[in-house]
Amino acid sequence: MAATGGAGAERVAPGRATLALAGACALVLLMATLEVVLAGAVGHSPLIPGSPRLSGWLQAIGRFIGFHERLGFRMFLIALLCFTGAYSGLLVLARRISADRRAARWSIALVGTLAVVVCAGPVLFSTDVFSYIAYARMGMLHGLDPYLHGPIRIEGDPIFKYVGEDWLKVATAYGPMYTLISYPLAALGLKGAVWGAKVEALAASAGTLALTWRCARARGYDPAVALVAVGANPLYVLYGLGGAHNDVIMTFFMMAAVALVVSEENPSGSAGPTSSASPGPSSRGRLAGNRDALAGASVVAAGLVKATGAVLLPFMLLSRRKVSTMWGAAAGLVLVAAVSFPVFGLHGLDVISALNRDAALVSTDSFPTEIAHLLGKPGVFPADHTLLKVALVAIVAHLAWRTWRGYDWVSASGWTLLAIAVTSTWLLAWYTLWALPLAVVARDRRLLIATFAVQGLFIVHQTAPLFSPVST
Amino acid sequence: MSAATSTAEPGGRWERLPERLRPRTHERRGRGDLRRVESTLLVLAFLILTVAVVNDVVRQVHVNERITADLHTWRTITGNDLINISVEQDLTHHTTRDVLCGNTGAGPPGTQPQACLIMTGPTVHGMRAANGGFYLPPYFQDKRVNRYACFGTAVRENLCGLPTPPGAPDEPLTGG
Repeated sequence: MAATGGAGAERVAPGRATLALAGACALVLLMATLEVVLAGAVGHSPLIPGSPRLSGWLQAIGRFIGFHERLGFRMFLIALLCFTGAYSGLLVLARRISADRRAARWSIALVGTLAVVVCAGPVLFSTDVFSYIAYARMGMLHGLDPYLHGPIRIEGDPIFKYVGEDWLKVATAYGPMYTLISYPLAALGLKGAVWGAKVEALAASAGTLALTWRCARARGYDPAVALVAVGANPLYVLYGLGGAHNDVIMTFFMMAAVALVVSEENPSGSAGPTSSASPGPSSRGRLAGNRDALAGASVVAAGLVKATGAVLLPFMLLSRRKVSTMWGAAAGLVLVAAVSFPVFGLHGLDVISALNRDAALVSTDSFPTEIAHLLGKPGVFPADHTLLKVALVAIVAHLAWRTWRGYDWVSASGWTLLAIAVTSTWLLAWYTLWALPLAVVARDRRLLIATFAVQGLFIVHQTAPLFSPVST
Repeated sequence: MSAATSTAEPGGRWERLPERLRPRTHERRGRGDLRRVESTLLVLAFLILTVAVVNDVVRQVHVNERITADLHTWRTITGNDLINISVEQDLTHHTTRDVLCGNTGAGPPGTQPQACLIMTGPTVHGMRAANGGFYLPPYFQDKRVNRYACFGTAVRENLCGLPTPPGAPDEPLTGG
């Protein structure tokens, strides 16, 4: 990520060739997204989950412009690789483009367009959004606690046939805050609920990106480049937003916490006011205390959307060492518990058993599975799960100690989220996004490189059908 | 990572701790060795993951090629150009043995008697060897109790547990 440099740093305006190249990259991003969305809208694709008819109008547009090929593996992988190539190109050019005065406006326009296009299309690559809606309908329409029952209990409900087969008997693993946020979706009907979930994801994404911008500026990085690094990321756009995943809501609360803390820092990293027109010492102290309390509450909110979000809390506490952070976190927890307890009882707060259940799952895309294959084993065994947990604990302990001794807590949180994704035996594309917004504003730039490396490996792993498609 | 000069946190709350245990607002200068060790470990981890990913892609490509050959073999032997043929891989022992089942007549998958072939060995000219197989009645899962009319290796492995139902197809299919 390009740093804005000091006050006297000279910024050379980019040449025409650079701007043209950046424009071409942006166009490729848009075309690749359009291709996935339009081909997905045609239907009958092995990559698009069955869903209520949402994008008939897109199908009509596709037909009008002569686009009626369904989204197959080959087409999708070519689009994904083009997207990734153009995204990498944009990031390489970023340092030079950022000197252009229009860079900020163009980056906002690009990221906004990609988000709107992908959200206008069908639900991509995952049935998770239908699980969210099923849990909401269970609670609101059927009087069932989604923390005790799986969607199998609402077999007659119209959402049932869209829920992924693996999740039919599984109670929700999401936090009570997300479950409460999703409950109003049940009142919108089937299609309305899907659109509602998409709007929720879109709004959370806009918030995440705005906060990423703010954090990048507070830390002396180019906010436009940070925005593109997150908002135009291929896995973020196609998988995260395309699937309307609630991970985006979790990252929103995570970034809110980071923004509240880093806005106190100078770009050099030292704590203190960023503006000369700041209030006096006592009101500054109060303001900082309030910010810390809100940051603590925001991290708890992230954790109560999806348990992974709570990872930031220990590092924030170790770094800030402020009572107000703890009070804020405790107040946030009590508030959500007070609202959710009458609805879900204690089950809503039992995130540990949900985490344990999910930790036992195994996906073919996970790095431990790939290493097991490399070692000639058919897959991961229970002993491997234990080894992976030990490795994760060792990494977290090392990061905690370093944070205590002055290491950037945002970086430590990002490393932990990345370590969770890498050591998890159940890895999905959107899990590699958890660390991304933190990585673009982290002081340790190795985190950003590592996050991109993990995402790159994930994408490479998807490419097998490109070399040898199975003829059905 | 910032390496500012500021050291221990001011204030007395942590002063009782020895200096090496006290919290800091910024990392001390001269942590280059630790950073080097971390970076080396990260590079090593990345290399291992890269090798694992590439190995898995190559493995998956071979599996895809094998399944394509399996499907071609099934269609050639049965003379039935079906689209919906189920493929069961040997995930337990990680061998290249696959069992392919498909309808013997027209209709949605599983609604007709199923002809199942056991494919083994290398791919030669886009085909694999089918050394045995069995049949399944309509709507029945591939379990020993439901299999009948075993032939080839399936007889030797005692895979069938059901007598041939009257009028059901039962001719031995081999080739590849």
